[in-house]
Amino acid sequence: MNKVAIIGVGHTKFGKLEDKNLLDLLCDASLQAIENSNTNDKDFDAVYVSCMLAETLNHMTAIASAVVDRIGLIPAAADHVKNGPASGGSAIKNAFYSITSGACDMVLVVGAEKMTHITTPGLITSAVATLTHHNAERVHGVSLPSLAGMLTRTYMEKYNVPKEWITSIAVKNHKNGMNNPYAHFQKEITLEKALASPIIADPLRLYDICPISDGGAAMVLCSAEIAKKFCDTPILITGVGQATDTHIVYEREDLTVLKALQICSKQAYSMAKKTPEDIDVCEAHDAFTILEAIQSEDLGFFKKGEGAKAAYEGLTEIGGVIPINPSGGLKARGHPLGATGVAQVVELVWQLRGEAGKRQIEGAETGITCNFGGFGNNILSILVERM
Amino acid sequence: MSETTIVWKKCKKCRKLQHPDHLRCIQCKNTTFDTVKSSGDCKLLTYTILNAPPSEYRDKKSYTIGVVEYSNGLKAIGQIISSENLKIGMKLTSKFQKLTENLDGKEIFGITFKPT
Ligand SMILES: [Zn+2]
Repeated sequence: MNKVAIIGVGHTKFGKLEDKNLLDLLCDASLQAIENSNTNDKDFDAVYVSCMLAETLNHMTAIASAVVDRIGLIPAAADHVKNGPASGGSAIKNAFYSITSGACDMVLVVGAEKMTHITTPGLITSAVATLTHHNAERVHGVSLPSLAGMLTRTYMEKYNVPKEWITSIAVKNHKNGMNNPYAHFQKEITLEKALASPIIADPLRLYDICPISDGGAAMVLCSAEIAKKFCDTPILITGVGQATDTHIVYEREDLTVLKALQICSKQAYSMAKKTPEDIDVCEAHDAFTILEAIQSEDLGFFKKGEGAKAAYEGLTEIGGVIPINPSGGLKARGHPLGATGVAQVVELVWQLRGEAGKRQIEGAETGITCNFGGFGNNILSILVERM
Repeated sequence: MSETTIVWKKCKKCRKLQHPDHLRCIQCKNTTFDTVKSSGDCKLLTYTILNAPPSEYRDKKSYTIGVVEYSNGLKAIGQIISSENLKIGMKLTSKFQKLTENLDGKEIFGITFKPT
């Protein structure tokens, strides 16, 4: 199996970007990654483009074909990868195996979403809710925030957890986002303000939920053998895992267990021959604060029921035992759906190269992600380390 | 469909109760099932009051969604016809009825729960 290296990354500003359409975001991030990887004059074998709602929100199909044409990568193979908000993770997985198999040497992954131009109330909530189970959940008006609200209530009740422990995750992620120039929000929030923000899906409040964002992120991957020709500090992808769980959330034995994450992170750890103790930095999928708490448990960092407490006690801050979401996470960096899984790995690359500026985790050598493609029913985990 | 009974599947081989959408058993891959009707009585496992409805429910400012468990162990999700004095573990009764209309005007049916 050929080893896979990331030799360049790109990341647009996330937020409300009025003068950029979907294709602009995809191409801007791609060209940054190509420039960053010193592959300006190189041919690429394949391009994987991740975007969740191109058709619904942007009336565009065949976006992978459009990207290679616009950025001059014809005749590279080009695919549009869709796996809900884990489209980015899935695109990276496809690129990874295209290189490990020996089929490709030079591959571009780019993810983006353009969302903030939609003004119809409820339309984005509704478009995202199409990923829930149609007959069991969606007909009843179940949306992602409502599933997260119910999960928060169950977790608080089962483990006797006060709400402020969970909401402290949003405060921590906003603090980290302050030092990320690409983040949607570069603004600190207080726990008091977060706990008093409007209720969206009781007990979940506005500040427990990630924003709707525009943005793109990209990376250039190549076989590790040739990586040093282009870059002094290639970052290796050494573990990739993906697993599914019941589409109907209540058909799981225990709502508070993300079995798919336990399985896919174990796959990633074992492929890389690492354990949770080896991880220096993690980028989690905090679309809702409760998810980061539970993910930190099922990734193996904390015991069940102790993730929210650990966050409240500062163990997941930069400088803590396992920093989670130094980028600001989905909460502060923003959540352009198709870009998120790519942006998570881009942040880890910056951290492992020592290029993360004021949010740098000293000496970080190994990182892992958790990228959600549904409500816990399709999850990817990607493990990276310094070469 | 009757107003009050809700029909589920029980795997003939491993006896796992499950949603009728499954074509093969979610636990053992078997394809033969018995039909199970849930009784109306159930208890509340968790709930949320949603203040940001998706566009199908644009006519409502807020509504309550809950997950319940019937005495035979079946679980279900539906809308609770109340947002006050809800408590995990409380007894509810369930019904199958029209909930709303989708954006094309088609009637949408589903499960509702009411405190007993
Ligand atoms: Zn079975």
